[in-house]
Amino acid sequence: MNNALPLFSLLDVEKSFPIDGGRRQLKALDGIRLTLHPGESVALVGESGSGKSTLVRVMLGLEPATNGRVVVGASDLGQLDGPQRRRFARDVAYIYQDARGSLNPRATVAALLAEPIRLHKLRDTREIAGRVDELLDQVGLPRATRHRYPSELSGGQVRRVAVARALACEPKVIVADESVAGLDVSVQAQLLNLLRDLQAGSGLALVFVTHDLGVASYLCERVAVMYLGRIVEMGPTADILQSPRHPYTQALMKAFPRFGAPLTISLQGEIPSPADLPSGCRFRTRCAQVQADCTSIDPAQTLLEPQRHVACLHPLPARTLQPFPTQTTTSEH
Amino acid sequence: MRNNLLSVENFTLRRGAVAVLDDVSLHLPAGQTLALIGESGAGKSTLAFAAMGLLRQPGIGMQGRLMVGDTDVVSAPEKDIRALRGQRMGLIFQDASSALNPCFTVLAHLSEPLRRHRKLGRAACRERAVALLESVGIADPAGRLNAYPHELSGGMQQRVMIAIALACEPELLIADEPTSALDVTIQAQIMTLILDRVRALGASAVFVLHDLALATQVADRAAVMYAGQIVEEGPAAEVLNHPQHPYTRGLRASAIEFGATRLEPIAGVVPPLSAMPGGCRFAPRCPLATSKCTEQRPPRVERGASTLACWHV
Amino acid sequence: MAAELTDAAADSAGRPPNAALRAWRLLSAQRKAMAGGGIVLAFVVMAVFAPWLAPYGPTEQNVMDAMQGPSAAHWAGTDSFGQDILSRVFYGARSALWIGFASVALGMLAGVPLGVLAGLRGGRTEWGIMRLVDGLLAFPELIMAMAFMAVLGLGMGNVVYALALSFVGPFARMVRADVLQVKSRPFVEAARLMGVPERDVILRHVLPNIVSPILIQAGMRVSIAILLGSGLSFLGLGVVPPTPDWGLMIAEGRGFVSMAPWMSGMPGVALAVLLVGLNLLAEGLRDALDPRTRSRH
Repeated sequence: MNNALPLFSLLDVEKSFPIDGGRRQLKALDGIRLTLHPGESVALVGESGSGKSTLVRVMLGLEPATNGRVVVGASDLGQLDGPQRRRFARDVAYIYQDARGSLNPRATVAALLAEPIRLHKLRDTREIAGRVDELLDQVGLPRATRHRYPSELSGGQVRRVAVARALACEPKVIVADESVAGLDVSVQAQLLNLLRDLQAGSGLALVFVTHDLGVASYLCERVAVMYLGRIVEMGPTADILQSPRHPYTQALMKAFPRFGAPLTISLQGEIPSPADLPSGCRFRTRCAQVQADCTSIDPAQTLLEPQRHVACLHPLPARTLQPFPTQTTTSEH
Repeated sequence: MRNNLLSVENFTLRRGAVAVLDDVSLHLPAGQTLALIGESGAGKSTLAFAAMGLLRQPGIGMQGRLMVGDTDVVSAPEKDIRALRGQRMGLIFQDASSALNPCFTVLAHLSEPLRRHRKLGRAACRERAVALLESVGIADPAGRLNAYPHELSGGMQQRVMIAIALACEPELLIADEPTSALDVTIQAQIMTLILDRVRALGASAVFVLHDLALATQVADRAAVMYAGQIVEEGPAAEVLNHPQHPYTRGLRASAIEFGATRLEPIAGVVPPLSAMPGGCRFAPRCPLATSKCTEQRPPRVERGASTLACWHV
Repeated sequence: MAAELTDAAADSAGRPPNAALRAWRLLSAQRKAMAGGGIVLAFVVMAVFAPWLAPYGPTEQNVMDAMQGPSAAHWAGTDSFGQDILSRVFYGARSALWIGFASVALGMLAGVPLGVLAGLRGGRTEWGIMRLVDGLLAFPELIMAMAFMAVLGLGMGNVVYALALSFVGPFARMVRADVLQVKSRPFVEAARLMGVPERDVILRHVLPNIVSPILIQAGMRVSIAILLGSGLSFLGLGVVPPTPDWGLMIAEGRGFVSMAPWMSGMPGVALAVLLVGLNLLAEGLRDALDPRTRSRH
């Protein structure tokens, strides 16, 4: 990829929470290795208990990592001084899952969008109104929206305002948490197209948290599949969809309802609780390819091929078939 | 038509002055499954609840016929409806954690329909409850009887809800987004379970869904709803894989599939129910709309095995 | 799900109404608020324009006409000193309203900052403040007010101070709870994440969102204050005679209830009606500001 300094470097990051009055630890993240370069888009895909939302919170500095290092640019996230913190707040914009809850109900849309602009002194006071209009145009909202309060907007509109606010500080990275979950299909499609066009057009990096592998494949060039706190597979989306190497990724793909494919149960059982992780490989309780050593050895995230990470003792063989092409291999913008 | 379990004819439901369901017609033969597809506000849940007789309330007016078996839900006396519900019809909600009463154990939940409709005694109830939990794939069923809903995982809560709905071996099962709140790997398990149980009972099922691909996997027939009307209805494979109505086509083009190069969302938004356009309700957003569409409501036409409401097919 | 932005209230230029108009529209949609507001307004007018509305002076005695029932000359009758009850009811509205609003305002002045400080700071500050508040709250309001009147002496001013003090505790506790609740909402964290300095987070994000709960509570407190004030006067621990005060009037008429029920009855009815009006207004205010009860506007 590019040789510029990565925006984020996560090195063996762990995060534990004390539960049961401090007697036990819940390991929400374990051995995370992830880098994000400028302009890259990566999707964090996982089901409940996967730790994807916790990972994002650690990356944003909302929670300290219990172990490992979170490096932004050249410095440790925990060791940023005042001006560096402000720079970080500007460079990394976060779109909450609860978009409506993330907007001050007592502020108009204009005030909400102007806040980051004023804060980071990105425009002169006279130019702010114009910039707000620009942002509204960018996200496809009518300019009259500036006078509204969040309570007067529909779910889809509120999410667009959240996107506009994220863009307002001219960030280098946008981190979005389940930004399209629960939306109607056509609204979802509109929002996804918006995000894709914005990201492609402005060279923003994008970290997109979702449980939906389909959304991940549409939006991001790279995918990191998470299970119970570990990244079990990571690599270019196209490669992973064509040739998953981790049994969980394969099961996840099969579980996804697809036109023309019959309903298949790809995984039995329930997801274990993160407080009670299975010994050895955390996926072994549901894995169809489980073997003897899986009970005792916990596989770490390892580099299988250039750009491809898998956390598995017996990864699936690479496939050379091409069941479907993905759009990420063609550039159209 | 006699063997249609669910028969809806020119059914209109009004809340005050607003027609939430407008002249809806569809038929479901016994033993088949139907998917009601649509976006939010389309009226699919309303139709499902109306079929359960849950919307016979002041302020709500119904016209037309809604037959479940031989009972017309619109006009039948309340005691007939109560006999219908719970015994001959079962309902599965979307969010099990809020549909189950946090104060009742699993056994209490299951006993309610068994006692009320089957008049079973305590011991018989318990036995049947264990059998039901086993049939929905819950391990250690006897041990789970005394559990409270919050002690169970999401998938298990949903299984309990399925067991409750199937307790009296209904002929018609209505499931309102039964897997939307679940993880995708659990979704396949739960859907398969529902279909297995329905087939074992020889019952029919109506699934309210927003996921088109899932609908093709689980349903024999599909009815696509928009703004309170059914715009396309027919065999699921036809309607969803080879849609003919512009709205269904639009939905299909907005649906994400692996390898999709570009999503084509439908322009605009659903108008509010109180401000519906005259003529075809989809006309303002339709790429094929002409002046005729805005003036006159399109009739139902048959195309192949499907029925459509469109001027341009 | 809702569709396009609907704003029937926008003016012809397409700009929506300003905040004041919006607030008025919200409030006027609530019948309770309007009914209650009307009643309260009537009493305010009564109080303010008493010198012009009252047919007699409040302490004007006509011993000849003492203990007369309602008549053409005295619409509400007279008391044992021959004072016109209607006029005294009008003037009594002054002390009632003054005590009610002033004591609540003072109580808020002390209680709200304490609550805000406790809620924002947390830790030992919060602990210390809340223990102080617990101490204040340990006493029933009336008992505490009585104790203070015993120490400070009688009179309207002292009634206001005494009641204000007994309100500090409830306000502090309620405001702290509101602050905690708002602090934990995502938009506060979002603001901090964006880099908004703490001072602005408090001023722009936290405080504006606790204003409505505080206002609603204050509205409800006013009726409690008026009732307590009248109660103190009734017990002889409040306002001194011959000040026209409804509590005092009820007390004075206590011995004559069978003979001259209008002496206690008229001020009692006035008190009841004002309290109902205040409660309606406060409830209407709460419903108007509750996002669940108001429709999209």
